[in-house]
Amino acid sequence: MATAGKVIKCKAAVAWEAGKPLTMEEVEVAPPQAMEVRVKILFTSLCHTDVYFWEAKGQIPMFPRIFGHEAGGIVESVGEGVTDVAPGDHVLPVFTGECKECPHCKSAESNMCDLLRINTDRGVMIGDGKSRFSIGGKPIYHFVGTSTFSEYTVMHVGCVAKINPEAPLDKVCVLSCGISTGLGASINVAKPPKGSTVAIFGLGAVGLAAAEGARIAGASRIIGVDLNAVRFEEARKFGCTEFVNPKDHTKPVQQVLADMTNGGVDRSVECTGNVNAMIQAFECVHDGWGVAVLVGVPHKDAEFKTHPMNFLNERTLKGTFFGNFKPRTDLPNVVEMYMKKELEVEKFITHSVPFSEINTAFDLMAKGEGIRCIIRMDN
Amino acid sequence: MATAGKVIKCKAAVAWEAGKPLSMEEVEDAPPQAMEVRDKILYTALCHTDVYFWEANGQTPVFPRILGHEAGGIVESVGEGVTELVPGDHVLPVFTGECKECAHCMSEESNLCDLLRINVDRGVMIDDGQSRFTIDGKPIFHFLGTSTFSEYTVIHVGCVAKIDPEAPLDKVCLLSCGISTGLGATLNVTKPKKGMTVAIFGLGAVGLAAMEGARMSGASRIIGVDLNPAKHEQAKKFGCTDFVNPKDHTKPVQEVIVEMTDGGVNRAVECTGNADAMISAFECVHDGWGVAHKEAVFKTHPMNFLNERTLRGTFFGNYKPRTGLPGVVDMYMRKELELDKFITHSLPFSQINTAFDLMLRGEGLRCVIRSEE
Repeated sequence: MATAGKVIKCKAAVAWEAGKPLTMEEVEVAPPQAMEVRVKILFTSLCHTDVYFWEAKGQIPMFPRIFGHEAGGIVESVGEGVTDVAPGDHVLPVFTGECKECPHCKSAESNMCDLLRINTDRGVMIGDGKSRFSIGGKPIYHFVGTSTFSEYTVMHVGCVAKINPEAPLDKVCVLSCGISTGLGASINVAKPPKGSTVAIFGLGAVGLAAAEGARIAGASRIIGVDLNAVRFEEARKFGCTEFVNPKDHTKPVQQVLADMTNGGVDRSVECTGNVNAMIQAFECVHDGWGVAVLVGVPHKDAEFKTHPMNFLNERTLKGTFFGNFKPRTDLPNVVEMYMKKELEVEKFITHSVPFSEINTAFDLMAKGEGIRCIIRMDN
Repeated sequence: MATAGKVIKCKAAVAWEAGKPLSMEEVEDAPPQAMEVRDKILYTALCHTDVYFWEANGQTPVFPRILGHEAGGIVESVGEGVTELVPGDHVLPVFTGECKECAHCMSEESNLCDLLRINVDRGVMIDDGQSRFTIDGKPIFHFLGTSTFSEYTVIHVGCVAKIDPEAPLDKVCLLSCGISTGLGATLNVTKPKKGMTVAIFGLGAVGLAAMEGARMSGASRIIGVDLNPAKHEQAKKFGCTDFVNPKDHTKPVQEVIVEMTDGGVNRAVECTGNADAMISAFECVHDGWGVAHKEAVFKTHPMNFLNERTLRGTFFGNYKPRTGLPGVVDMYMRKELELDKFITHSLPFSQINTAFDLMLRGEGLRCVIRSEE
C-alpha cells in the first residue's frame, strides 16, 4: 500500500482527561515497528473496561489516551519479522496476546501469555516503550495495546487474530472481547453437559454471552440471576429459561437456587465481579459434581470466603480470563461458529453510531441501555 | 455356613467412654437384615478418624461404640435382597456407601451417595435404626456403618466392596480408607501429567498416598511440605524429590514454592485440613485440594481464580466405593501401586490399644491389626 512505512494522519477520539468526553482529533500514527502491524479499524464497540479506565477512579491517570479494544479491521501494513499476517487480512485486535513461545502459550491449559498478557497500565508499545500516536509531536498513550478508537492503530502482532475475510466485521468485532469472554467461560471452562442446569450471575453482555454458550452447549435450564428485573425479558433471547432476582427473596440466593433445582445447579458462571455474587455462585452448585466459573473482575481488596467443606463436597471453583481462548489460535474459530450460525451475534448489537458520535455510546453505557453499541469508523 | 441366620458371639474391642482404652468384650452380633451383609474381619487398621471420634472432643458422645472402618474380611452371610455378594467373597468395608440408585451414584462425577454418604453421628443400621451388636441384650453402637474392631460385623451391602480373592487382605485392607483417599485425590482429581511438578501439603498417610499417586502418574518433581522435618526421610520412599518446611522460611510458603518452580507448581494436594495450608496450597498452584476443620474459612483474593487456577475438593479420592475400589486393589496386584511401605506396624487384636498409642505419638504410618494372633 502507498501508506506503508509512512506516518498516517487520521481521526482518533482522544481522552484528554479522566471522565471528560472524548474529542475528535487528527493524530499521526507511526508505521509499525518489528513484530507490529498497523490496522485500519472499520468497526469498534464500547466495553465497560474502556469506561472503567476512562473514569480512572482510584487509578494512576494515564492521559491523553486513545481507548478502545473491541474492534474489527484490515491490516494496512506490517513491520519487520511479521509473517503471520499481511496487508489486506481481516483481523480482530485483542486486549491480551499470544506470543506462541512462552510456557503459557505452549500449555494447552492457559491463555495467559507471559509477554503479552493484558497490561492496563502500559500506555506504550512493548517493543521500544514508545507510543505510535502523536499530535503535534506529543505522544498520545495507547490502551491495552489496541487503541481502536482511531481510524488506524498499531498493535503487536501477538494481539491480532486473523479471521475469515467473509465474516462481516460490523458483527464479529464484538467477539474481540466481551462476547468471547462470556461464551468461552461456558463452553471452554464450565462445559455444561447436554440437559444440565446452568445459573448465570449478571445479565450484562458477558453474562448474556455465557447464557448463549450454555444454550449452544445444550443446557436444558438456564437460570439468570440479576438485581435488575428489566434484564430478564432480553435474556430470554439468549436462552434463559428462568430468572431469580435476589431482591425478591429473604433467603440467600444460593438457597433459592438449590431449592429450585433439587440440591443445586450443575454449573454456574459469575459475570458481575461482585465478591458476594462469587460466593453465591460457588455455593449454589450441586455437591458431587457442580462447577462454578468466575469471570467478573473483583475489587482490589475483595476476599473470597467460604467454608472449605464446600470444596470437600466435590464442588469445583475455576476462574477464567478471556474465556480461556488463546487470542490468535482460537478466536478465528469463534468467528467460524458465527459463520456456521451456531453462535448468534446480532442479538448483542442493540445500537450503532457513527464515529463522530462516539460519546453517545458512553452515554448509553452510563445509562445501562442496550448491550453493545457498534461505532462505525466510516460513518 | 452354619452360623447364617444365627447370632454370632465373638470378640470385639469396645469403647465404653471417650478417650478410655478399648476393652475386649464378647459381643453378640445379630444376623444381617435386608440389604445387609455380615463379614468376618481378618485385618483392620487404625485411622485418625477412629481416634477423632474415640476422643470425641466437642462432639455429642455416642458410646459404648465399636470403632474401626479400615479393614478387609470375608462375607459370612447375607441378608434378604443381597445379590451382589455371597458368603466367602473377599471384601473391603467402606465408611461411605454407594446405593447405585441416587442422583450421585448415577453421576459419573460424584461419590457422595444420598443414602449411604458418611454419617458419623449414626450409631445404628440405616434401615431399622437398631444396632446389631449387643452385650447382655444392651446395644453397642456402630461406627460409620462398619465397626471393624470386631471379629464379625454387619454392614449395609452398599458399603462393601467385593475385591479380587487373590489380593492379600493384610495389605489391601489399607485401601478401604486413607490410602485410597490420598491416591484418588491425585489420580482422579488433580490428574497430573507426566513430567509435571506436584506439591503435597502434609506428609501423613493420606499425603504420602497422594504422593504415591503423583509418582505413579510420572510427576518429575514432587515437593513435600510439612512442619515436621522428620517426615522428609520417609517421604523419599514415596517419590518426594524436594522438601519444604514452612518453619525454615520467613516468606509465605506459597512464595517459596513459586520461586522454586519458576511460577508455581502444576498441581497441589492439601492433606492437612489446616485452612492456612489450604490457602497456601491453592495460591502456589494451578489445582488444589483440601480437608478442613469445621470452623475453618477459606479466604483468598478472587483474582487468584481469575488467573485460571482451579480449586477442587474431594471426598474419598472421588472413588465410588463399590465400583471404584476393586480397581484400586487391581492396581496393587499389578504392582503399579505399592502398599507395603505404608505398613509400619502390625499387632494382634488383643493389643489394639497399642495402635492407638502409636498414632497418638505420631509413630509410623499404618498399624495393621490381625484378628488372628
